[in-house]
Amino acid sequence: MSHDARLASLKIELPQPAAPAANYVPYVVSGNLVFVAGQITIWNGEVRYIGRVGDTLSLEDGVAAARLCGLNIIAQVRAACGGSLDRVKRCVKLGGFVNCTPDFTNQPQVINGASDLMVEVFGEAGKHARFAVGANVLPRGVAVEVDAIFEIA
Amino acid sequence: MSGRIEARLKELGLELPPAHQPVANYVGFVTVGRQIHVSGVGPTWGQTVRHKGKLGRELKLEDGYAAARLTALNLLAHVKVACGGDLDRIEGCVKLLCLVNAVPEFLEAHKVADGATDLLTELFGAEKRPARSATTAPSLPFDIAFEADGIFLIR
Repeated sequence: MSHDARLASLKIELPQPAAPAANYVPYVVSGNLVFVAGQITIWNGEVRYIGRVGDTLSLEDGVAAARLCGLNIIAQVRAACGGSLDRVKRCVKLGGFVNCTPDFTNQPQVINGASDLMVEVFGEAGKHARFAVGANVLPRGVAVEVDAIFEIA
Repeated sequence: MSGRIEARLKELGLELPPAHQPVANYVGFVTVGRQIHVSGVGPTWGQTVRHKGKLGRELKLEDGYAAARLTALNLLAHVKVACGGDLDRIEGCVKLLCLVNAVPEFLEAHKVADGATDLLTELFGAEKRPARSATTAPSLPFDIAFEADGIFLIR
């Protein structure tokens, strides 16, 4: 099944790709790689999941926040590919930043929200390298930020 | 397999830890052409974390440096798998991201990260040193003292 067809069959809706917040671009295409800028928890302009995991937000909130970052990443990749995800060969890399308390050490499980989404949508091609790290604050106070590298045909 | 880099490791009295495969929906590395993108790893040996805690609190600079060195060995363990076991196929590390588990007052992330880049330099030579970012993080997965990911180039 093509990536577009799989997305439709899963009934996964993507947000509008967000415009950058400052003087940078949402993605850069270099050869067959797409570098996606850090995506936050925003749904069509509305910022969601503001807060800190381990404090004002639970682990489950963090996982949902990471999934929303992932949806924004896929929306940017689709835009980079001219409107179709079928050019995606591989999700190469995710970088996950979790706004959390200094004693919170379960960043991997939070970022699984984004990782699981990639495998749900792209199957084997969604299996990526990644890192997960804690941050003491993120832009606009959001819980999670994720950036990405994709390989396209 | 006994190659030039394996011999160099032996000279330095070093051994690569086993490449630890992630248990979630991601992988240890992804190959794109000649680039190997390696996932974030830490100062572990197999499943055992060897360096836990924060710099500027319970850990000293030397502890962080040792953690960074072991972390670099874990990156190489993945690259070795990507190279089909032949470390001599590694041209070098292109880019490293170094994350130091530290209190906000700790200002020496760059010196901790040298533990990783010094090791890579000892193995691959000064001309193959990577571009690098080093920063502190208020917390890291499983309270590891140090985390790094990397992009390596192979032939």
